[in-house]
Amino acid sequence: MSALRVLTAAAPRLAAVLLGAACVAWTAVPPRHTGLATLALVVSIIAVVAGALRLALADVPQPEEGFFPSAPVRTWLTFLAVLRGLPWEEIAVVALLWLEVQHPARPWHTAALGFALVAYLLAVHIAESGAPAGRLLRRQATLLLAGACLLALGAGFAMLPAAGPGAGSALLRVLAAAAVVAAAALVLPGRD
Amino acid sequence: MAGPVQQVEVRWRPSRHARRLLTLALAGLLLATLTRRPELVGVAAPALLLLGVALPGRPGRPGRPARLAVRVGLASSRLYEGELAAVDLAVDDTRFDTRWLLEAGRGVEPASATAVNGAAARFEFTVPRWGRRQLGSAALVLHDPWRLTEGRAEVALPAVDCYPQPAVERTRVVLSRLPNRLGEHAARVPGEGTEFAGVREYVPGDRQRAINWPASTRLGRLQVNTFAAERSQDIVLVVDATSDVGPPGTSALDLGLRGAAGAARAYLDGRDRVGVICYQWGGARWLAPSLGRRQFYKIIDTMLSADAGWGRGETFSRLPRAALPPGALVVVFSPLLDQRFVETLRDMRERGFGLFVVDVLNTVPPPRRTFSDAMTRRIWRMEQQAIRFALRELGVPVVHWDGAAPLDLPLAPYTRRPLVVHR
Repeated sequence: MSALRVLTAAAPRLAAVLLGAACVAWTAVPPRHTGLATLALVVSIIAVVAGALRLALADVPQPEEGFFPSAPVRTWLTFLAVLRGLPWEEIAVVALLWLEVQHPARPWHTAALGFALVAYLLAVHIAESGAPAGRLLRRQATLLLAGACLLALGAGFAMLPAAGPGAGSALLRVLAAAAVVAAAALVLPGRD
Repeated sequence: MAGPVQQVEVRWRPSRHARRLLTLALAGLLLATLTRRPELVGVAAPALLLLGVALPGRPGRPGRPARLAVRVGLASSRLYEGELAAVDLAVDDTRFDTRWLLEAGRGVEPASATAVNGAAARFEFTVPRWGRRQLGSAALVLHDPWRLTEGRAEVALPAVDCYPQPAVERTRVVLSRLPNRLGEHAARVPGEGTEFAGVREYVPGDRQRAINWPASTRLGRLQVNTFAAERSQDIVLVVDATSDVGPPGTSALDLGLRGAAGAARAYLDGRDRVGVICYQWGGARWLAPSLGRRQFYKIIDTMLSADAGWGRGETFSRLPRAALPPGALVVVFSPLLDQRFVETLRDMRERGFGLFVVDVLNTVPPPRRTFSDAMTRRIWRMEQQAIRFALRELGVPVVHWDGAAPLDLPLAPYTRRPLVVHR
């Protein structure tokens, strides 16, 4: 009974860790051996691992500060401060997107990454806030469905042949996709 | 749940989840523009949708109240050391997902989870050491249905009075001379009690039911039973708060207060009148002897104000005369470390009070290797022995109590028969 309870409590954290690892693996393959890609990969791995550690140590209380803490206590306090102070998930998202753009254009791959990133952020939020996952996902189901459609639409925009050669036509496609997303965000009713 | 209502101010801001989604959306849009890849706009789309829906003023979005009514209920504002207690919190507004986080105050130990989801929460806690303790505060975190904005409010939790855990004491020291007042202790004078005292010859006026028929048959004359009178006594508990030594939780003052609480309960259960004097720097706090259950709590409230701190300019004073009724038994809980307090005890003994000292010193100076330290330690030990010897020579019983065993054990030699006090 207690094992089941522990598993229930640990499941969102485990899900967040697995989704983070999946995002890194999904983006890193096939490996790119340029300097920026390697840097982005290392940063994203560090950020995902640090985020996982932060979730794992979320229940560890902050030790009370004494007047003259010993070196191990000082190290532990600094480690906890770094772990809890930096926005690791944001860093991971930016690094993963940067790693993705290091690869040649692959629209459906990027769309899947986008969905995985949203799932990762939702899992992290559920794990750290203890929110009931079922109720939260039910409330956001419509929006997530619409987001998935827009993801597919964005990938479709990328696969359309350009009207003409040059950077202007590619930018136009980006603007068109952005306009569709903006319109959807404004039109969708904000019901519970 | 009953409890006072607090109006707390709520500060609203984007949640961490919203900030992460915003990062994803901005990074996607920026990279899409820089690299001219429309699929990255798609990556930003779900985050933008969620953020757009949560914009203020959208239909279906609950308003953000600036203030909220929070009910705070405490099961009891008084508890004993180590006793489990609980504080209940509830917020009336149920439109938001609510999370409570307990930040326990100093000296308060949480005994349950410190984070609870829901409109109502119950936090259990214990207080390991006596004193007045602030429970701390509870952070109330409100989330909208999409968990993109969060409101934070601080709820100040009330204070509790933690009473020292009374020592176990079932037996009582009783004086040989008791005041002429009805009570439960058998006195040495005959009276209308229930305890058999002896047999004497019948005189006219004696009750017929008191006739001892076997003795009358044996002696050939009517004999009647006599009974001991039942009296109560005045007890004054003196707690020495001038010096507090030992580890927190088992210090001399901790043991003194626990012993005094146990003795107060034992004597009040025996229908005695009990008072207390907390002897400390800057004067004594005292409570005149009285009866009843309420007196027990008054005694502990008086003891809770005991302060072992020393202040510059504060003086030592004699014990208040009004707190010491004539013929009272004075039970002292002290580590006997301060010579002036010992002089005060000697003064009381010379005034004719029946004194009884419970020694609560359970610590010694740490051993050191240097010769001077070892010598100082030895001199200190001898001085302590001399103090106790001098008190015994004055006719003051001194017993040692370690705080772990029931108080009945060290008192056993004095509870079997009445304590004779030579005036």
